[in-house]
Amino acid sequence: MRPDRCLLLLLAALALGACATTPVQPWERGRLARWDMRFDPDPLKSALKEHTRFSKEGSSGRAGAAGGGCGCN
Amino acid sequence: MSERPSALLLQLLAATAALVGPAQAAAQSDSAGGTAISYRHGDYDEDRLKPAPLDGSDRRYRVRTEHFQLSTALGDSDQLNVGLVHEAMSGSSPWFSFPDNDGDALQVMSGATIRDTRREVSVAWSRDRGEGSRIGASASYSAEDDYHASALGFDWTRPLSAAVDLGLGASFSHDIIDPTDAAEFDRIDRAIKNSTSLFSSLTFVLDRSTQLQAGVQLTHASGYLSDPYKRYYAGDRILSDARPDQRTQTAFLLRWRRAFIEQDGALHLDYRLAGDSWGVRSHTVEASWYQSLPHDFRIVPGLRWYSQGAASFYAPFSAAGTVGRFHSSDYRLAANGSVSASFDVRQRIGAWEWVVGIERLRAHDAIGFGGESDPGRVSYTQLQAGFDYHF
Repeated sequence: MRPDRCLLLLLAALALGACATTPVQPWERGRLARWDMRFDPDPLKSALKEHTRFSKEGSSGRAGAAGGGCGCN
Repeated sequence: MSERPSALLLQLLAATAALVGPAQAAAQSDSAGGTAISYRHGDYDEDRLKPAPLDGSDRRYRVRTEHFQLSTALGDSDQLNVGLVHEAMSGSSPWFSFPDNDGDALQVMSGATIRDTRREVSVAWSRDRGEGSRIGASASYSAEDDYHASALGFDWTRPLSAAVDLGLGASFSHDIIDPTDAAEFDRIDRAIKNSTSLFSSLTFVLDRSTQLQAGVQLTHASGYLSDPYKRYYAGDRILSDARPDQRTQTAFLLRWRRAFIEQDGALHLDYRLAGDSWGVRSHTVEASWYQSLPHDFRIVPGLRWYSQGAASFYAPFSAAGTVGRFHSSDYRLAANGSVSASFDVRQRIGAWEWVVGIERLRAHDAIGFGGESDPGRVSYTQLQAGFDYHF
């Protein structure tokens, strides 16, 4: 099976699995509110790195890249 | 330049990737309602080319970046971010590959005479609509001597249930390419590229310590997508880089976060599967550990693995001189891969927080798959340092 189809199946399974989880109440979310639990704790650092990767790799697509530009070199 | 969607376009989707659900909204509460300024200095330095190039300089690219950002609340529910970026770039760049007597590719570089600067301004606005719903819009403009990019973006997030948030985003970029020395090197005088990108994500709160985000991004680019500075060796001819004028890219993203309370740390695991209509496929895996220490120190070691297959029209050269309609010897479209390690340190002192970090990336042909590798592959070191100040 192609990898992208495998991933689609995985995403579907995750969606179904998440529906089955017991909801976490607002007062139980202290750990999730930590700085280090953000999906992007340091956006400026991510911006610098993703701009570099955009210029040096053939694939892109992880949102979080920074800055426009030629990326020619 | 144009072989990928605009980075500016991708930046506009950053807000969408960070689509805030209930958990994220809580996590960001420490900066909500106030004003913060941030500064980062970046120093990107590529290794010298090995083996030495057949011609040109082996002193590759170096980029120094200054990034300022102001974040401030507007009333009770609005947030405004203004960013300024200045980059100074210099060094040499791969030009084309030439076959030796054994048929192996030798790299021809430009002279180390490239000098350019990039200036960018960006504005992003978001509004908390209550009950976990948020909307945002952004605009940015980037200018170089030979490249101008303008972009607009929109994003929206809302909870689907107590455990799941939906995020949607869209962005459009209009880029103008105006190569230097066009007449001398038979380059195009001026060209346009347009890119449109859509992004969707689901964020799951799996338990009290774990959350997962699954997303998909679809990007379509049209117009001049070749690189006017790259050349292609075909027998006794040196041709211009020639790529299709349409490209559709798809990326699937998984981002997993888990807090470890006893260790006072958190583990981040990310995976991306990307593919496009040019035949480029890639896998990216990243892992980071966020460790809190006494005296408000935080350290973040990280590892990243990247593996890419070549574009269908990529070849280092054509010794026989036969070429198709599309041809490119750009090392970024070759089969390649890399492993990188990073380490960041930061400390909060009152309203200030300073941060320093280093990343070392080493290219490895063996990690790539599906197609030929290229002698122009790049390894580099990237440093950054800066601070945040919260009023």
